[in-house]
Formats: sequence, C-alpha cells, structure tokens
Amino acid sequence: MTLLRSSLSIATLMAGTLLLAAPSAQAADEEAAKALARENKCLTCHGISKDKDGPSFKKSAEKYKGKADAEAALSKHLTSGAKIKLPDGTEEAHKIVKADPAQLKNLVQWILAQ
Amino acid sequence: MESSNPGQNKSWWSVLKSPSAKYSLIGLLAFGFVSGIVFWGGFNTVLEATNTLEFCTTCHEMRDTVYPEYKETIHYSNRSGVRAICSDCHVPKIWAYKMVRKIKASGEIWGKLTGSISTPEKFEAKRMELATHEWDRLKSTDSRECRNCHNFDAMSPQAQRGTVYKKHMKAKAEGQTCIDCHKGIAHKLPKEYREPDEE
Repeated sequence: MTLLRSSLSIATLMAGTLLLAAPSAQAADEEAAKALARENKCLTCHGISKDKDGPSFKKSAEKYKGKADAEAALSKHLTSGAKIKLPDGTEEAHKIVKADPAQLKNLVQWILAQ
Repeated sequence: MESSNPGQNKSWWSVLKSPSAKYSLIGLLAFGFVSGIVFWGGFNTVLEATNTLEFCTTCHEMRDTVYPEYKETIHYSNRSGVRAICSDCHVPKIWAYKMVRKIKASGEIWGKLTGSISTPEKFEAKRMELATHEWDRLKSTDSRECRNCHNFDAMSPQAQRGTVYKKHMKAKAEGQTCIDCHKGIAHKLPKEYREPDEE
C-alpha cells in the first residue's frame, strides 16, 4: 500500500513537472514567425535587433517584459491600426498585420521572446 | 514515274514564280490584304486567349498553387475593383517583348510534359528558383509590368502613409525599382528567401 502510494506521488510529481515544462515546449516557431514577418513587410520598418523607422523587436520585447497582458496588448497593436509616433515626430496608423489568429499568436510570442 | 515528279515540282514552282495570266494585280493585292487581316486577327486572338486568367488556371500546376495564393492578395481583390490578372504582371504589353516572352514560355510546355512541378511538393521545391527567374526578369526591365499601372509621380502624399511615401520617394531618388522591395506581393515568398536587412 505504501509502495503504491509512493508510486502515485512520483507519478503525480512527474506529471506536474511535465505540465510546468509545457510552456517551453510551445515556444514560438521562429521560422514561421519570420516568414509571416517577411510576408507582412514588418522587417521594412523593424529590425530584429536594429531600430529602423520603428523600434527593434528586442526593444519591443523589453517594453512588454513582465506585463501580464503583454501578448494581448501586442496582438491588439498589430491588428488595430494603432497610432504610432515616428522618429521624425510625425504620427500615423500602424500597418494591420494580415494573418490568421494562430499565426498572429506565434508572431507575437516570437517578438516577445526577443 | 520518278522522273515525272521533279517535272511536276518544277512546273508548280514555275507557276508560283511566273506572273498571273488569269488574276489582275489589284485582285491579288486585295486577296493578300484581306487574307493578311484574317491571319493576323486569328493569330492575335489565339495569342490573347493565352493571356487570360482562365487559360493560366487550366493547368493544375497553377490552379492548385500560385492561383489560390494570388486570390488572397490585393491584386485580386481590393477597394476600387481593379484587378491585375496573371498576364498583367507576367507578360509584357509591348508586342516585341510579348513575343519574346511567349517564345520563352514555350519551355513551360516541356516542364508540363516532364512533370517538373506536377505536385505541390515539387512546386515548393522549385519555388525559389522560379520566383528568382521572375524577380530577375522584372529587375532587368525596371519592373516594366508593375509600371504599366504604378508610377512614382502618381503617388499622393495625402493618400499614402507617411513612412511609405517617404520610402517611395527615396527609392525613386536612388533609382530603385519596384521589385527591389515588393517581392512576394501576389504569391507566397519562398521559404529560402531572406530580406536583405533583417537583423
């Protein structure tokens, strides 16, 4: 009985570890994210680590770091035509990214992971 | 018997060479003129028939790959209802260039016969190579087919977003051409493609 109980606790522990490990297994598909960024011409204004007319993805990731709603906020930013300020002080609407929800989620996760 | 054939050939050749005794010159000219129009009209009609969207999507190689992708893009469906079909981008409008392109395109018949892109997998494997041919062709003609409709001078700073307009004016000043930046606008980009400045 004790043996069964300890086996059960080990199994529970292992399952728990697997569950904890799950988020990293779902890490963004980098190649798919980059392909979508190319298709949507994101890289015309954003470098991965270099600022262009827009901030680098690294900088964007830093901005959202630690925020609970980071994923939702960045998704909204990419799909709502949000107002953005350019280096020369002018303002305009951000391009609306064309993608299905799963692709967009992957792109957002990849940007936030930079 | 054999010796009569060369004689017959010779007589036909002589008939062709000798002036007509039966038909007037104006009659012959009129006949030639009308036949020319009919021949030219027929030739051009067939040529233009090979420029239609329906013709291009007759083959499953186009219908199952590039066509569905193009249908998702702005060149197929947009606010103002202007559509650019396959030939608008892939076949020159000027006759001499059009003929050169059509003759080159006859190589695609060989591709069809040998099944070089007969499955979506085979097409994906060759997408980069085929796209590169088209990018090189557009680059070498200063994006001539894009410019049948698009013109730097016709771009409105009020209608275009500020960053986009600035990039276009910079491209114009630096002598860049449409295809330098606008790759993969009507079809998917090949998976091997990389932007020049991604980092």
